Amino acid sequence: VTDLIDADAAADVVVPSVDAAPESQTVGWQHRHLLDVDGLSAADLDLVMRTTDAMREVLARPIAKVPALRGRNVTILFYEPSTRTRVSFEVAARNLSADVTNIAAQTSSVSKGESLVDTIRTVEALGARMLVMRHAVSGAPYLAAEVFGGSVLNGGDGWHAHPTQALLDLYTMRSRLPGGSVAGRKVVILGDILHSRVARSNIWSLTAAGADLWLCGPTTLLRGFEAWARRGPAAGRRFHVTADVDGALRDADVVMALRIQRERMSSGLLPSLREYAARYGLTADRLALAKPGALVMHPGPMNEGVEIAPDVAAGAQSVITDQVTNGVAVRMAMLYLLAGVSAPLTAP
Amino acid sequence: VSDLDLSRAWLVDPASGREGPGDIVVTDGIIEAVTWLEGSDAEGIDAAGVVVVPGLIDLHAHLREPGNEDAETIASGLAAAAHGGFTTVCAMPNTSPAIDEPGIVAGIRAAAIVSGSPLELLVHGAVTVGRDGAILAPLGELADAGVVGFSDDGAPIRSGSILRNALAYAGALGLPVIDHAEDLDLTEGAEANDGLVATLLGLRGWPVAAEEAAVGRDLAILADVVRDVPSARLHLTHVSTGPALDLIRRAKAAGLPVTCDVTPHHLALTDDWVAGSRRWAWDAHVDPWDGGGREAAPYASSLRVNPPLRCPEDALACLAAVADGTADAIATDHAPHTEVDKAVEFGLAANGISGIETALGVVLAAVDAGHLTLLRAIEALTSGPAAVLADRTRRAPSPGLIEGALADLVVVDRADAWTVTREGLASKGKNSPLIGRSLPGRVLLTMAAGRVAYEAPTG
Repeated sequence: VTDLIDADAAADVVVPSVDAAPESQTVGWQHRHLLDVDGLSAADLDLVMRTTDAMREVLARPIAKVPALRGRNVTILFYEPSTRTRVSFEVAARNLSADVTNIAAQTSSVSKGESLVDTIRTVEALGARMLVMRHAVSGAPYLAAEVFGGSVLNGGDGWHAHPTQALLDLYTMRSRLPGGSVAGRKVVILGDILHSRVARSNIWSLTAAGADLWLCGPTTLLRGFEAWARRGPAAGRRFHVTADVDGALRDADVVMALRIQRERMSSGLLPSLREYAARYGLTADRLALAKPGALVMHPGPMNEGVEIAPDVAAGAQSVITDQVTNGVAVRMAMLYLLAGVSAPLTAP
Repeated sequence: VSDLDLSRAWLVDPASGREGPGDIVVTDGIIEAVTWLEGSDAEGIDAAGVVVVPGLIDLHAHLREPGNEDAETIASGLAAAAHGGFTTVCAMPNTSPAIDEPGIVAGIRAAAIVSGSPLELLVHGAVTVGRDGAILAPLGELADAGVVGFSDDGAPIRSGSILRNALAYAGALGLPVIDHAEDLDLTEGAEANDGLVATLLGLRGWPVAAEEAAVGRDLAILADVVRDVPSARLHLTHVSTGPALDLIRRAKAAGLPVTCDVTPHHLALTDDWVAGSRRWAWDAHVDPWDGGGREAAPYASSLRVNPPLRCPEDALACLAAVADGTADAIATDHAPHTEVDKAVEFGLAANGISGIETALGVVLAAVDAGHLTLLRAIEALTSGPAAVLADRTRRAPSPGLIEGALADLVVVDRADAWTVTREGLASKGKNSPLIGRSLPGRVLLTMAAGRVAYEAPTG
């Protein structure tokens, strides 16, 4: 188990000066793309966290903008409707002075049958140097990374991964938990685990950071995760899977509720939203099982009154708006770190 | 019409159950002499060098003509088959239009003749009109046109009553019904084998139970039909799971007239490949997320296939089924696709592997690893499928190294490995997950009906 605030490890992390151009710095980031969280080491995560600290400092300035990515094109290509993630990436890129191109796939030639490969080649020919991509099919960013000359940032693919969400969740927990670490903390992810890219990415980052991770939901929405929980060496990267919501919440330090989609009823995975809210909804009564002051999180968008009660979402323990702000800082950090790697590849 | 004079090779003749050192002479396309060597004459000859086997028979190949000639044609498919050592190929009927009336069978035969290939092309007809599962195709007319089996492959025969009627009707014609066993309710939207890899990659799972449940249903219906129609025969194709093979093993022991085949890719590849592993199913397992088990990028669409690549235990169960005869044949399920259909997101890619040229190499890799004997492996590629076809091939009475017969044989150098390349594949379908990989056993020569169908370039 790696403790991310380990003092020795922290001493080795060279945090970039975010006011300077990324390629002018020597920091320990080696990855050209951000496609998944599974390949990130504890040291990688630590570098992202510390770079995000620097970006939070930028966001606190009167003019929250640095010239780091000036003249560099960031193309945001979303094949799924999304407001918050798309806007968060856009704000992050603009704060770094990048040129931003937004492509909502439903209004481009994609709906006329252009393949993903052709679309990627086209946006690259139009000047894209970094590509932020959201896609409904798991693994689609890997195909994009195969053909794109710059860096691909996965903004969410199918059920598979949502790396920047996991990173902003980790950052939010670290910044709010006493001691500034998730190591040994009981973190509960509650809801539709099966269909959740947020849950999958959080499994990698939270187990790497040493959290005591619990996944909880109706058994139909946990299929396959018990086997995942048991894989690997017992000493690390294991987690708990349970349908017992009270047991999961007891003495929790963090509770993250996930969105429940209406389609789950029509496909027979759940009897009704009413029954889900009654049995698994995060209410004030349930939250009382957790430690006093336990953090309440949600990746959004919320169905208030279903997976989370409105008074809990807006309550004193909620850090949901923090997640949104931290999301901008984490995305700035990732754009910055990836630009340092991809710059030599795309220099004119 | 050609000659061959090969001395001191390893001959494998499953029809007679014999293998060993020998000489073979072909004159004017006829096997003139097969001489088994013994004693000091046989010294220094082993099964690891040049091997001569009867021409291979593929029960299950998608040749895409008519309707999708961009992916494959009869001519390119037969050229690919010859490159792979096959001399008899059964074309599956899920073309466009489907092979559901005699005129289409005639058109395919004509295309084979025009291709000039000496290979034998056999045809399976559809079970239902348009393969839509509703109305029986004209099975009798198709039989008269020479089809050797009936299948709605690409999809299962969803209706139990249609399957029952097809088994009974085809049984009277002496032909098997070939089912692709899959419970579609359990596999809706499925992208990869339901298991750890699919869970981690966020892919919708194809449960083992979906194949097991469908095989169980099919066997129950077969048992019902044979009480009235003892000549009814069921062939289950591309069986991919241990539990389904166990059901078939028990049904055979109980005397039911059922046969089955497995594919080379289900013998040797696993769902770990989808996560980036490139280890054979029988190699020591290495977690793709741990300890360097990831040798390639995940989500390679060339690995998307139906049934999906399963876990190593299922692959080993497929090997065991070939070894003990539960699986009568190894069939390629050669499924060529165009770039348009494959160079897309994993979840949107067409199902299928272009495999007729790599089948023998993959099976020989399993032989090299000790999971099959050479004799049994070649039997599952020759006499086994011939028996499923009730010996309706032109090689009467059965495929073998038989003096006086037209030469239908393959010369393979097991000591010579070859690397699979896009350019090296004669198939139009370049959708092979084995591109870039070295396989044992280069095919030096394929002879069909006494003519050279493929000859390896020299030098």
